[in-house]
Amino acid sequence: MTDLQERVVAPIPTVEKAPRVRNPARSLAKHTGLILLALIMLYPVLWMVVSSLRPNSEIFRSPGIVLDSLQTGNYGEGWNALSAPFSHFLINSGIVVLGCIIGNLVSCSMAAYAFARLEFTGKKLWFAIMLGTIMLPIHVIIVPQYIMFSQLGWVNTFLPLIVPKLLATDAFFVFLMVQFIRGLPKELDEAARIDGAGHPRIFLQVILPLMLPALATTTIFTFIWTWNDFFSQLIYLTDPEMYTVPVALRSFVDATVATSWGSMFAMSVVSLLPIFLAFLIGQRYLIKGIATTGIK
Amino acid sequence: MSAIGELQRLNTTTGGPPRKKDNRAAFVFLLPWFAGLVLITAGPVAASFVLGFTDYNLIQPPEFSGVENFQRMLSDERLHQALAVTFKYVFISVPLQLAAALGLAMLLDRGLRGLAFYRSAFYLPSLLGSSVAIAVLWRQIFGADGLFNQALGLVGIEGRGWISDPDTALSTLIVLNVWTFGAPMVIFLAGLRQIPAMYYEAASVDGAGKATQFRKITIPLLSPIIFFNLVLQIIHAFQSFTQAFVVSGGSGGPSDSTLFYTLYLYQRGFHNFDMGYASALAWLLLLIIAAFTAVNFWAAKRWVFYDD
Amino acid sequence: MQNGMSRRSLLSLGLGLGAATTLAACGGGGGGDAGGEISKDAVKLRFTWWGSDARHKRTQQAIDLFTKKYPNITVSGEFKEWNGYWDSLATTVAANDAPDIIQMDELYLASYAERGALLDLKTAEKHLKTADIDGEALKTGQVDGKQYAIPTGVAAYSIVANTDLLAQYKIPVPDDSTWTWDDLKRIGVEVSKASGGKVTGVQSWGFDSGGINIWARQAGATLYDDAGKVSIPPEVLANYWQYLLDLAKNGIAPAPSVTVERASAPLDQSGTATNTSAFGTWWNTQLTSLAAASGQNLKLLKLPTNGQPGAATAPYYKPSMFWSVSSRSKHPAEAALFVDFLLNTTEAGEVLLTDRGLPANATVRTAITPKLTATDKAAADYLGALQVGPAPRVTPNGASSIETILKRHTEEVLFERQTPQQAAAGFIKELQAEIDAA
Repeated sequence: MTDLQERVVAPIPTVEKAPRVRNPARSLAKHTGLILLALIMLYPVLWMVVSSLRPNSEIFRSPGIVLDSLQTGNYGEGWNALSAPFSHFLINSGIVVLGCIIGNLVSCSMAAYAFARLEFTGKKLWFAIMLGTIMLPIHVIIVPQYIMFSQLGWVNTFLPLIVPKLLATDAFFVFLMVQFIRGLPKELDEAARIDGAGHPRIFLQVILPLMLPALATTTIFTFIWTWNDFFSQLIYLTDPEMYTVPVALRSFVDATVATSWGSMFAMSVVSLLPIFLAFLIGQRYLIKGIATTGIK
Repeated sequence: MSAIGELQRLNTTTGGPPRKKDNRAAFVFLLPWFAGLVLITAGPVAASFVLGFTDYNLIQPPEFSGVENFQRMLSDERLHQALAVTFKYVFISVPLQLAAALGLAMLLDRGLRGLAFYRSAFYLPSLLGSSVAIAVLWRQIFGADGLFNQALGLVGIEGRGWISDPDTALSTLIVLNVWTFGAPMVIFLAGLRQIPAMYYEAASVDGAGKATQFRKITIPLLSPIIFFNLVLQIIHAFQSFTQAFVVSGGSGGPSDSTLFYTLYLYQRGFHNFDMGYASALAWLLLLIIAAFTAVNFWAAKRWVFYDD
Repeated sequence: MQNGMSRRSLLSLGLGLGAATTLAACGGGGGGDAGGEISKDAVKLRFTWWGSDARHKRTQQAIDLFTKKYPNITVSGEFKEWNGYWDSLATTVAANDAPDIIQMDELYLASYAERGALLDLKTAEKHLKTADIDGEALKTGQVDGKQYAIPTGVAAYSIVANTDLLAQYKIPVPDDSTWTWDDLKRIGVEVSKASGGKVTGVQSWGFDSGGINIWARQAGATLYDDAGKVSIPPEVLANYWQYLLDLAKNGIAPAPSVTVERASAPLDQSGTATNTSAFGTWWNTQLTSLAAASGQNLKLLKLPTNGQPGAATAPYYKPSMFWSVSSRSKHPAEAALFVDFLLNTTEAGEVLLTDRGLPANATVRTAITPKLTATDKAAADYLGALQVGPAPRVTPNGASSIETILKRHTEEVLFERQTPQQAAAGFIKELQAEIDAA
């Protein structure tokens, strides 16, 4: 952080560091309610974990989530069930996710800064167009887009998945960041401007550090959504060498014959771990916002 | 189209003389976005627009059919069913989901032990996304032998197959959507973090109660984020596809009771090789969503508070 | 196409859809010569199929055997699950980027063939022999007299009975050479009663096209006529739904919501697989999967009849799936050679076994019989003993969504939102409209 920023942003104690005195009975009730709710929310996830530890034949015949025996065989089987070990698909997904995160962070924040803080010709129109681009369902876009990418020779590479993100085509995040930037006090920009900072400096040294929660949100969501995105990965990645986790996971399932549900659930659990970790790590940055700072 | 009134305000800075335009800086900042718009988005979007006026079966080249696709919509009963289903879904699930997300975000924002645990627990279901496992899991809850019926059985109520009964199938999808409130919750959490803590402290000193603080501080200061979630969740709900697709096995059943608009559009395009009509449907959807978004932006003038 | 041809070309050029789709309009001529010599140079083939992990493994083994035999040819396998498979196939065909060898389903065969996406395999008969394949089965891959696809294997509609459950309730296994639809009802009631409703007699059906095909044929009619028009008489169809409704109303089949839930669930969650229904309609080749899931003794029974004129020849061989070659393939001769390998060699047959149905090639079927599991053998015996009529016409272009339409109307009937008569009229009208529009 620069001294410019330290001057305008002086830390003050947060509420979290100074919890209010609470009524123990109320607190107990609150926690009981929350834990109950959490259990209901988590039931399907728990069921999935339990099923991944059951022999295939028992999954649909024994109800509930009580395990009689622990079978870890599904993990080994699922890991090696497809043409490559499952780690291969995890790595592929990792590459795509990484590319998309970098793309979204850089390009969307730049566009958002322009929309939130700069005055330029036709701003209304461009903004409307930006929002409009997320209003068409992908199913009618995908065929022309596939034709375009196939003529570029990009099919069966990660480029059709990553390059659009590098070019800020994910309007969701542009809009998200616009809203966050507009929530930041303008005095900060003004102060920096008076100090002679240009837009690049204001953007990099004032706005970006302050929109850390928005950047964390973007990172987490890009991670999760890309990790789970099935349709475009299915369409663009034709060679199993290039398959990502969601495409691989679905190739366990065939509704007309017996499916290795145990393996499928086991690998679902495995593929859930990275995004859960990403969320656990990312959520710390969610809470490091301007709230920890005392503007005004 | 949309956003006009909103941007009117965006254009005029509060107080002082109007600032001069920063066209050059804006161009630089928007360069990646412009490039994406021109190189990646524009072509396919234009193609889908033109295809909306053609008969296109994906395998053979498209053939101009004028406004035939749009005329066909008038008498397409399944389309009308899809519209009814989708509107019902949007109007019920979006407010419920946002209320759940905001409520829990406030609860989980500060001053609670085990915050990180709860946040993760509540977010975990949203991580499942469109996983194939969802269909199976959902049947474990709302199926004929599911958890919900077992719970009802305890209190002596006879259940049914909630997912497969046309009267209740859509409700289970609404619950599924509310269940995955993690995304808006996280955005609310991030937004709450932007509200300077001293506002609340000052209000407390002034003797304002929780309800007043919520009304006078949280809502106005969080309003840009509430607005964002509202706009995006509406757009998202109109385009809802995966959950209905996965849970109904792609059919939108039972009896078309979960036939979401995009699911119908997808069926026409990919199952019936009717991509021309599907493209026309997509543009109708765009008009509907754009209209809702425009109304949202117009209404926002009355309740969304910006600092600029 | 006719006079639309030039307008189409212009439009596709204007749209930047490119030469891909323009060429497809002219049909044929993918660049390669299907009847030419097999290349000595390196050739790369793309091969796509749907299925589950077990099929992916077997198929990859077969590919490896082939490439060992023809080292200059590499075959890259692209596997998908059912829904994703068709989305992906349609997209690649639209972009003129389709894989060379395509696993095809009866529902979609005409849709792709009539629009010129598939190669007439007769032009490749030099490399792809069909002599050992049953003539009736071969016919199922023909559209407008051209051999666009060759069945990988065949299956027949059947009733799967859980003999353990029947024994438990002391109900004799019915004699399937004489039983009628009324017998099925009667026995069904006994099962439901004996189990106190925990196990239903029948798992009701009405969600796949096999059921109405057979029902129509038993009544002496067909689902489609030769011209591809819907030809099932409304009253026959109404009877079909009336029968299903009776099953549900009398507790012979589960409550409608349970039936519908199972219909959209995978095989493993069906009443047969979870031992909660004593009888269910299935393709005979699904016996092995069902038996594995259920863990109990299952037996294939012929469908009941009501002794109508068409009943004797109502059963038919349904192609499990087909092999097709893209009309845009640059290496049609090599692709045909590969299909020939999968279809006609015992080495491939011994790897693939019954994964894609009981092999359509008689020699291969005999060769692999000793290797079959007990349930696969039972399925083969069932097929061998069955008296079949001529194969029904391939699903017409435009009717690929018949099962979605069928499912919806069955649901309307089961939930009593429509009478069987209304549903029959509605179904025929809607299906015919789809065919007319294609």
